[in-house]
Amino acid sequence: MNKSKPVSLKEIFLTFVKIGLTGFGGGMAIVALVERICVHEKNWISSEEFLHGLAFGQILGPFSLNVCTFTGHHLRGIRGGVTAAVGFILPSFLLVSLLSWIYFTYNKLPQLQAALRGTNPVIISLIVVVAIDMGRKQIKGANGALMALAAFGATVLLNFNAAWVLLAAALWSLGMSLYRRENA
Amino acid sequence: MTSLVSLAWIYLRIGLVFVGGGYVLIPLLNHIMVEQYRWLTLRQFLDGLALSQLTPGPLAMLATFTGFRAGGFLGGLVATVFIFIPCVVLMLIVGRNYHRLKRIDLIKGTLDGLLPAVVGLVAAAAWNLGVSSLSGAKELIIMAIGFAIFKWTKVSPMLVILGAGLTGLLIN
Repeated sequence: MNKSKPVSLKEIFLTFVKIGLTGFGGGMAIVALVERICVHEKNWISSEEFLHGLAFGQILGPFSLNVCTFTGHHLRGIRGGVTAAVGFILPSFLLVSLLSWIYFTYNKLPQLQAALRGTNPVIISLIVVVAIDMGRKQIKGANGALMALAAFGATVLLNFNAAWVLLAAALWSLGMSLYRRENA
Repeated sequence: MTSLVSLAWIYLRIGLVFVGGGYVLIPLLNHIMVEQYRWLTLRQFLDGLALSQLTPGPLAMLATFTGFRAGGFLGGLVATVFIFIPCVVLMLIVGRNYHRLKRIDLIKGTLDGLLPAVVGLVAAAAWNLGVSSLSGAKELIIMAIGFAIFKWTKVSPMLVILGAGLTGLLIN
């Protein structure tokens, strides 16, 4: 790793703009792209450190953005992290702004309405598939299954706010972690 | 139109509870935008989801769309900046201190433990959105085809959404 000459903020910015422009597929596709460019092509960060960043990136927010922030910070501190995050989000932000403008301006166009009637069911099926795949990976044992069912029931049948359900699950889970730690 | 300050506060709070991957945002944003503030109809919310999935950015780009609706371009900008502030700040702190984060096993254990609840919430979102927005055999068939493609092939969601839009244009 070349530590003698720090990477310029401009280069960080341009690199992550490129990632934000070309990383179609989202999520893990972005992580793979960041890894290829920053670990292998540019040697900006070691593969081990990158994996640490990925692990911490699961804590809060989208991990595609988080690995960009982490890598940028590794190169140039806080300014580098913010530069990488802004660079990565900027292309998507501009694209969504443009699409939103078109959407709210030409909402009444019958062609647009027809097209969106086609995308609507597909969005629902995407969410269903995500729930199934996540469930396969994350639900282990009866405790997890019960928690998932309770969250589902509380939202669908009792109409609870998702944020409160999440908070209750976090408190329960923290209690379990502390209990396991005490009894380890 | 809502003031930019209250928009910032709303999205900052969403950013703080944004755990377990972007999909938990679907129930959260649906509740806030459609049921609480009524900035969007359910239909618009789902259309916004489709649009934000057309970009390489995370699903949280839905914040840009909903913010745009609430306050124009500036609203979208404020929503996007503030929903991402908590996770960017956290990653900067982590980047600075991660050699010394000893309590990480506790944090990691807690987060892993609440993931089943996220699964339940995502499933509930699919249920609620499906029940209130799908109607007619045509839409159910499109949903079934979409399900099969997402479940058993690796075609990118962007292409599937574009294809579905084209299909909608042709059959409606």
